[in-house]
Amino acid sequence: MKNHRVLPLVAVVVVVIFAPVCVIAADVKVIANGSVKENMISANEVKSIFLEEYNLLRDGTHVEPVLEKDGPVHEAFLHEYLWGTDDDLQSYYRALVFSGRGSMPKQLGSDAEVVAYVARTKGAIGYVGAETMVEDVKTLTIVRGGNDTQRRLITRVEPEYPDTLKRLNIGGTVRLQITIAPKGNVEAVEVLGGNPILGESAVAAVKQWVFTASHARTVAELSVPFGSHP
Amino acid sequence: MHERIPGLVLLCLCIQAGQITLQAQEFKLLDRTVQVHGFVSQGFIYTNDNNWLTMNSSQGSAAYTDFGLNMSTRVTDKFWIGAQGYDRNLGQLGQYHPSLDWAVADYRFKSWLGVRGGKVKTTLGLYTDTQDEDFLRTFALLPQSVYPTDLRDATIAHAGADIYGDISLRHRLGVLSYTAYAGHRSDSIYSGYPYYLSSFGAQIKSFGGMQYGGDLRWKSPLKGLLMGASRLNEHITGRGLVINPFAPGAGLVPYYESSKADWTNQFYGEYAVGRLRIDAEYRRYWRNQELNGTSESFADVRGWYVSGAYRIYKRIQIGSYYSHYTITNIVAGALSAFYPPATDTNLPADHDYDKVITGRVDLNKFWNVKVEGHFMNGYGSGPYPNGFYTQVNPSGFAPNTNALVLKTSLNF
Repeated sequence: MKNHRVLPLVAVVVVVIFAPVCVIAADVKVIANGSVKENMISANEVKSIFLEEYNLLRDGTHVEPVLEKDGPVHEAFLHEYLWGTDDDLQSYYRALVFSGRGSMPKQLGSDAEVVAYVARTKGAIGYVGAETMVEDVKTLTIVRGGNDTQRRLITRVEPEYPDTLKRLNIGGTVRLQITIAPKGNVEAVEVLGGNPILGESAVAAVKQWVFTASHARTVAELSVPFGSHP
Repeated sequence: MHERIPGLVLLCLCIQAGQITLQAQEFKLLDRTVQVHGFVSQGFIYTNDNNWLTMNSSQGSAAYTDFGLNMSTRVTDKFWIGAQGYDRNLGQLGQYHPSLDWAVADYRFKSWLGVRGGKVKTTLGLYTDTQDEDFLRTFALLPQSVYPTDLRDATIAHAGADIYGDISLRHRLGVLSYTAYAGHRSDSIYSGYPYYLSSFGAQIKSFGGMQYGGDLRWKSPLKGLLMGASRLNEHITGRGLVINPFAPGAGLVPYYESSKADWTNQFYGEYAVGRLRIDAEYRRYWRNQELNGTSESFADVRGWYVSGAYRIYKRIQIGSYYSHYTITNIVAGALSAFYPPATDTNLPADHDYDKVITGRVDLNKFWNVKVEGHFMNGYGSGPYPNGFYTQVNPSGFAPNTNALVLKTSLNF
């Protein structure tokens, strides 16, 4: 067989083998009970909390993960924050349960159930669809890819949710890349994705945020959700 | 035939009761939520030659049942308790004598520091602590070179304490997870090694001792890649009675064996990407035993495997592994006349090379069925057992064994 016939075949096999199980288009936001002091956590912290690797945030708050049983929001969360499929995740939890390392986390059937549980349960952290309206819980800002994960947000200005979009129920998540100066102020903000009007609003707010000081600049990605009451 | 009945009846009852049980996973006690989880599995093994795993497998045997039930609850934000009972019947082993599998009180001070005490599953390589839960993996039998199911008691748990934690590395270099432990191991007299010793007329009354060790694993920043190493040190003593090898007609005399040096090193890696999962592990077990104060044995057991599993569809997986096991042994002293040196790992008595293919179907989230083929060269029946025992192979061993393993398990 000639090389030009083999190479496409190999490419197809490689693509099939290494393709993710599915590509998810849904968008999620991470919510927490009001007892959780942090307003912003890293994507790695989200992963560790939901894998039960630890249940204490940096500020000492105890947290308890709450999952959805299935559906597009659950799949989107797996894709964005964890790894593998729901079957992999369930096997992971069962390994903890049957080896005396932990308990099965709470798993609920819908966004509404997750919001209600998180609202009434101290330390609970869950996720819902990005456009789900939530009350009595806080929406966490997620940082990913930062080169200094120890920096904490000390002044947060909420982005304005334009009335027109709010009335039309147009929400979603804006993804930003921010550069934090050593002193803690936000030097630069770039919109990576999301509704451009919401993006403008998010940029205006995030430029006023202040973080703890550090010895060097920090570059990080943020997800700022709209369509909720953080 | 009657050996098959308890397992099959149990499995049928569990399947019938499955839907009810699956919905009754937790209850409230003193305002705490108590979770209840359990599993049961039933296997069948047929071998074309040699009886395997103490079963009458050359005739086809279903004497391959195990089940467990656990309860756990979070007492406070940082304090968690739980316990699991376990029972099994594997050919001549287990014989439905239930045991406390683990009973743990776990206090987590920080993400990087936790303590758990009680009877704790031992962290050794990828699967020692979860080796009984076959529903967690593609394969019906883990690679026997590293996880011999007949010898599960040797590594499964210790009564003692662990300290453990996760340390996030700077510069996004991943997470280091560590475990250090010390405790007392206690083997069932219905486990593989006491059964092996019974081939010499030994009746073991107790077998166990201190063990301590540690495990360090690196969850790398490359998604799905994990690597680690484990170390286990033991001081084991076995006591009982044995037929006097120098005067068989003189009746039983005390039997005693004790570790002079007993350690295990294990190195492992795992890579899971999308539907594909690849594992590789190497274990070396070195054992220097004093025997009845008159002799000494030196056994060097080495095993490794490479496995791959792929999820074809949501509920169908296929997998394959190659498992490589060798053993050498030398006995010095008075008993050396009864144990010729075993140093040539090319001999079938001193190795077991196993090629395996598996298919798994998940009938639902809680119930799966597996079909597995083993193609083994060697029987590794030397001075330390590895699945093949003379008691159930009185006519000797054939060099090759093919095995068909069918297994189903249910969990909730």
